[in-house]
Amino acid sequence: MAEQSSRGFYRRLAWTNIRRNRVFCLPFALAVAVVSAVFFLCVGIAFSDGLSNMPSGATARAIFAFGVFTFALFAFFFMFYLNHFLVKQRKKEFGLYAVLGLSKNHVGRILLWENFLLIGGGMLSGILLGALFGQLLFSLLKQLIHAAPGLQLRIPPVAYLGVAILFALVFAATAVYNLAQIRLANPISLLQSEKRGEKKSRFLLPAALLGLAMLGFAYYFAWTIENYAIALGVFFPLAMLVICATYLLFAAGSIAVLRLLRANKRFYYRPEHFVSISGMFHRMKQNAAGLATICILSTMLTVTLTTTLSLYLGQEKILAERYPQDLAIYSGGAEGADAAAYDAELSDLAALYDITLRPAETEPEAISVLETLPHSLYDAQNNWFYCDISGADADATAFIQELRKGKDPLVYGYFDDIFSARQEGYTMFGGLLFLGAFFSIVFLVIAVLLIYFKQVSEGYEDKARYLILQQVGMDAQQVQDTIRRQVRWVFILPLLATMLHMLFASRIITRMLEAFLLYDWGMTLRCSLGVCLLFILLYFVVYQLTARIYYRIVRHSV
Amino acid sequence: MVLLEIKQVEKTYRTKLGFQQCVALRGISCKVEEGEFVAIMGASGSGKTTLLNILASLDRPSAGEVLLDGIKLSDIPDRELSRFRRDKLGFVFQDFNLLDSFSLRDNILLPLVLARRPLAEMEQRLIPVADMLGITTLLAKFPYEVSGGEKQRTAVARAVITEPRLLLADEPTGALDSRASANLLQVFTKLNCLGRTILMVTHSAQAASYARRVLFISDGRLVSQLFRAADENDHSFFARIISSQSALAGGGEQNG
Repeated sequence: MAEQSSRGFYRRLAWTNIRRNRVFCLPFALAVAVVSAVFFLCVGIAFSDGLSNMPSGATARAIFAFGVFTFALFAFFFMFYLNHFLVKQRKKEFGLYAVLGLSKNHVGRILLWENFLLIGGGMLSGILLGALFGQLLFSLLKQLIHAAPGLQLRIPPVAYLGVAILFALVFAATAVYNLAQIRLANPISLLQSEKRGEKKSRFLLPAALLGLAMLGFAYYFAWTIENYAIALGVFFPLAMLVICATYLLFAAGSIAVLRLLRANKRFYYRPEHFVSISGMFHRMKQNAAGLATICILSTMLTVTLTTTLSLYLGQEKILAERYPQDLAIYSGGAEGADAAAYDAELSDLAALYDITLRPAETEPEAISVLETLPHSLYDAQNNWFYCDISGADADATAFIQELRKGKDPLVYGYFDDIFSARQEGYTMFGGLLFLGAFFSIVFLVIAVLLIYFKQVSEGYEDKARYLILQQVGMDAQQVQDTIRRQVRWVFILPLLATMLHMLFASRIITRMLEAFLLYDWGMTLRCSLGVCLLFILLYFVVYQLTARIYYRIVRHSV
Repeated sequence: MVLLEIKQVEKTYRTKLGFQQCVALRGISCKVEEGEFVAIMGASGSGKTTLLNILASLDRPSAGEVLLDGIKLSDIPDRELSRFRRDKLGFVFQDFNLLDSFSLRDNILLPLVLARRPLAEMEQRLIPVADMLGITTLLAKFPYEVSGGEKQRTAVARAVITEPRLLLADEPTGALDSRASANLLQVFTKLNCLGRTILMVTHSAQAASYARRVLFISDGRLVSQLFRAADENDHSFFARIISSQSALAGGGEQNG
């Protein structure tokens, strides 16, 4: 009986804690919800019947399964990282519990309940979110790929199982980590853990130089690539190189630059720079990895979206490149004399579908004798008819489908037409754009959550600092300016790095797109510009919102 | 010359709804001469920290006046206050209030930087102050790398480097062990000998015995004061403080 009531006690205490710490707990639950929704959909799509029935569905499924696995791995570490944030913030509270006489077992139980409620609640709302938005996203996808209206999304039960397994693992891992944190620490060190100093960094300059060299090499290589085969081959290695370089430069390069600034005494010992630079030191030492991750996520987002958008918007150019003539018919049976008759017959059939045939305007390459018939360009040597079609796309497609049925005895051969290709293009490039947009949103949400967690935890860390600064004689205006300057830099650095990465990436993307016969650098540039502008806009909205939270936390004390 | 004049200072706090009033200070008056070392003693809740906050211009009195160098604190506009604090006052806190992101050197220089002093002047002022406080060799270290006593001496260096008219110390030995406490108080005595005016709030008789004058505050009133005789040794002054304190405590109990 007593055990019964005490169990309720821990749950209630956990619930109170969650409510009190909602600044952290709510976003954590939100992160769980978003990650589980995304994972739910990924697993759902990967194992849906629709995918297996699609042409080349097996390949698509393999790719998806790989994607699901990668995402699960990423989700696991991401949740673990956020949990670490959460626990770090609350170590003082655990110390207090210990001082108040709760044993480590008790604190552990409370913590388990908290995580259970947060992860469980987040997961359930995530599945709900996934099920709802899944349908919405699916109809969007159908629009993009111009799919038949009958197509439906049915999420198989395995998706629920997948999410449950993933979060059971996350729960287990965070539970072990959190319990170890409590068990290993004594109350006093927990109480003081917030104020512990940071380690001295070593090998700073070599690391910074290495990062710089890696980045320089990757940029140079990306900028000077000559053809698409090389571009496709080196894209992932270069991306890895840039990722490593970004981490090195954020961690070591930033500190090295700050040291240089600090060494310049005339610059450093001024009110505008003094507090900001030392504050940046503090932040970069602790949060360089976080900032680098935000930068990498942003770059992945813009690169993915630019590539897929370029392909989607550029597909008419690709089609025009691949299909200079709207329709090419190889007619094995037609002799020279019958060509005119065949031409007329084609035209008659076309008239039934409300379209008209014209001789192709662009001449096919490497053809010896061409004869212009009333409705087509005829290559007598190889028995090919080349036409351009005017009329509605849907009519033209119907006409070509009729041709392909092969009712006409003259035609047993081979067709190549822009309309079928266009339909395939929409499916492929639309699907790619959809995936690109989908993952961009995922990257964005993760980046936003990271930024939020950073701002809030830094806000609490900086609170005491600004109080001291005021006591030492800094006025409210100076405090505000300093906070602004520091927050601005922390925000702008990842954005600047992202834009720089993007500039060089646009070059290699253009080369890669040449593999798809898309030779339009201008359009890729326009796409990346558009994507970047959109991203900057979103980024600043996030900046405004989270900076406000930061100001509120810091100013509360001032 | 009178440096600090406190005239009938009262402070009343209101509870959130304003139904109940909490009186922290009930008409305190006193004067501090230039070059004095004054300790304000009192139990927790006696109002001594409230008084210090008012003297530091961090808080405003409900009634009464505080004059520093003949200037009424209430006449200083809000935007000038932090500048006034920076120029005229030096602070030493119980928990040091050093910034972890600054080295000791930069912690000490902070007020000069905020006051936009030229670089050469900063260096010039830093050396003698650090020397006197015995932290010259530690200047490149960070607060989390040094002991509590060293932190507090750094805080004192930060407080005096602006050459303030008045040094305010709030329980400066509260977080130090007895040896570091004695060391710090000797530093205060030395500063006082060099002409610095010091006002220290403490509840430790040991700490108060280093002052030249001790004011006792109880329930928001100044109840008595002790002067140290010119030839009196630490021990005898300490004994007198203890006996006054216990007399006051006894009186408090009778009243209560």
